[in-house]
Amino acid sequence: MDPIRRSLLGQLARLSAGAAMVPLTSVARAGINQQPPRREGDPSKRYGMLIDLRQCIGCQACTVSCHIENAAPLGSFRTTVSQYEVAHQESGEVATFMLPRLCNHCENPACVPVCPVEATYQRQDGIVVVDSDRCVGCAYCVNACPYDARFINARTQTADKCTFCAHRLEAGLLPACVESCVGGARIIGDMRDPDSQISRMIEEYRDELMVLQPEKNTLPQVFYLGMDERFVTRPEAKPVALDVLDPHGKEMGYEFGH
Amino acid sequence: MNSAIELLAPRYDIAWYPWAVQYFFMIALSYASLWLAAPALVAGRSAWLPTARLALLACLTTTLVAPVALLADLHQPLRFWHFYAYANGHSWMSVGSLLLPLYVVAVIVLTWLAWRPALQARRQAPGLSGLVARWASLGTSPTPRALPVLVGVIALALSTGIMLYTGAEVAIVKARPLWHTVWLPPMFVATGFIAAAGLLLVLNRASGLRDASVVGQLLKVMLVACLAAGLIAGSWFLDGINAHVGSVAAALESVRGSPEWRRTAQWGALTGALLFGAVLYLLTRPAARRPALYAWAWLLGLVALHVGWMFRWVVLMDVQTVARHSAGFHHYGIPAGSSGVLGIVGTFGLWLAAIMLIELFVPWRQARQGGSAADVPRESVRESSSDSSQEHAPEGASHHG
Repeated sequence: MDPIRRSLLGQLARLSAGAAMVPLTSVARAGINQQPPRREGDPSKRYGMLIDLRQCIGCQACTVSCHIENAAPLGSFRTTVSQYEVAHQESGEVATFMLPRLCNHCENPACVPVCPVEATYQRQDGIVVVDSDRCVGCAYCVNACPYDARFINARTQTADKCTFCAHRLEAGLLPACVESCVGGARIIGDMRDPDSQISRMIEEYRDELMVLQPEKNTLPQVFYLGMDERFVTRPEAKPVALDVLDPHGKEMGYEFGH
Repeated sequence: MNSAIELLAPRYDIAWYPWAVQYFFMIALSYASLWLAAPALVAGRSAWLPTARLALLACLTTTLVAPVALLADLHQPLRFWHFYAYANGHSWMSVGSLLLPLYVVAVIVLTWLAWRPALQARRQAPGLSGLVARWASLGTSPTPRALPVLVGVIALALSTGIMLYTGAEVAIVKARPLWHTVWLPPMFVATGFIAAAGLLLVLNRASGLRDASVVGQLLKVMLVACLAAGLIAGSWFLDGINAHVGSVAAALESVRGSPEWRRTAQWGALTGALLFGAVLYLLTRPAARRPALYAWAWLLGLVALHVGWMFRWVVLMDVQTVARHSAGFHHYGIPAGSSGVLGIVGTFGLWLAAIMLIELFVPWRQARQGGSAADVPRESVRESSSDSSQEHAPEGASHHG
């Protein structure tokens, strides 16, 4: 469509009912859905993670160790490694791309302000946690997170997510996923400490680092090194695993789609 | 990139269950029918009284059932008191949890005020209905007309808050681009009015009132609501092709990528256009032919209910199956249990039970804007007057048509 027609159609849209909606949206933006104050945690620290994709071999050791450490129910994951088979457009050469995913402990987390009871909150060290004794299980945060980092734990019936293994950090240990990573691809640390490994690597690779879905303005604090920018947003890929259903629509298993 | 294949990704379950659809549907019926009761019960327009009586019945019953569905969508329903113990003004859901009880109380009080004169007139009735009337009418003092007006205005104000919060709660979710549009809240309201007008058409038929003036008024409401919905959908779409708007882009991508979404889009457009066309057709018939045609308007009522419910189903359930961080679409089969079919059927069953209890014990057909027992025609008189109103249906239709 040519630009003139486009802008004309746009004007029409604004003329119609748009004008009436503008004041409403500015009211909505004023106070509601703003970040509540952070609480607990060490205010002198800011935890973050850097994932060096060049070191990741997709072994899923992180997935398994996290599952064991945090006792997530079967089928739900606090962290996992997505794998993609990518073919070169001209040569047809095939390669595998690994993308470890976990909570991004965003600077502007979308999941925190939506919680109706402030059960999920951001600590002063940046870690986003859930108070499962307070959580009502409304699942609003699960829908609000753009990264699928949250789920409703089938056992506790409350929201569950990666906590950077806060309980281990407090005991001076590394998170289970970092500890078990065979390639040393996951680096966690205090980004306020200029001498920490993560601070030094952020300084060194500043221009190469990428975060997931930056357009959502959540300011993720999990940084990817060696990332392909085409995987930053929702990947344009074919899903390979298809559900196999019995005649009653009940799931029997998976099969490969090609 | 076209040849990328996602080999491994977890399956993400949906987070909001069909209970959410039931809540959004019931609460939309509730606030829209409240506004349809308002012309007679708040503004005192007597021509709208028969519509208002049906609307009040619909409003009260849906207002009572909606919070049950909402509560059921919580994974920890017994912790509902946390909403009040740890209220968070930053969350639209929390704002809603504060508005909702106030709204429910306002609707109950308004309904009670409107039904009270008729309940008082029934105080002497034998058996259980007399007992209920004596107990529920709380004395024989007359109800001042100003009271339903005052409570009605409060309820209308609170209902505006409900419209705003139910829409905003979903529309602020950036993570689901299809939800994240300013056009979603007004579309909820417009389809809510379509469904509420439809429900009243069905109730008009099912209750045996078969008032043609009611049909005329409701068809006009439906026409305006259809036009509004069309305008909103059109504006949303025009906005989207003008600039890169995530919501429209995501919709087009879904429609391109999935035959189910294509069918959904076609079905929605077709049903909406059909409903609008049929309503327009009925309203433009010559006065003499209207009574015969209006007798079938309840069928359009069913279509309108379908439109209102399906819109919510597509928005709340189907959108959750669009993967946001991985490839393709998630499979969702409606489970048979309480988080699925049983919940849907159960909500409607509960609503039906509420309607039947009211039909048994409350003379809702004689609701009025305050007054005393003496203002209420005797029930035997009411029977014959409703018969005569059927005979005079053509007159009523031409008057209001």
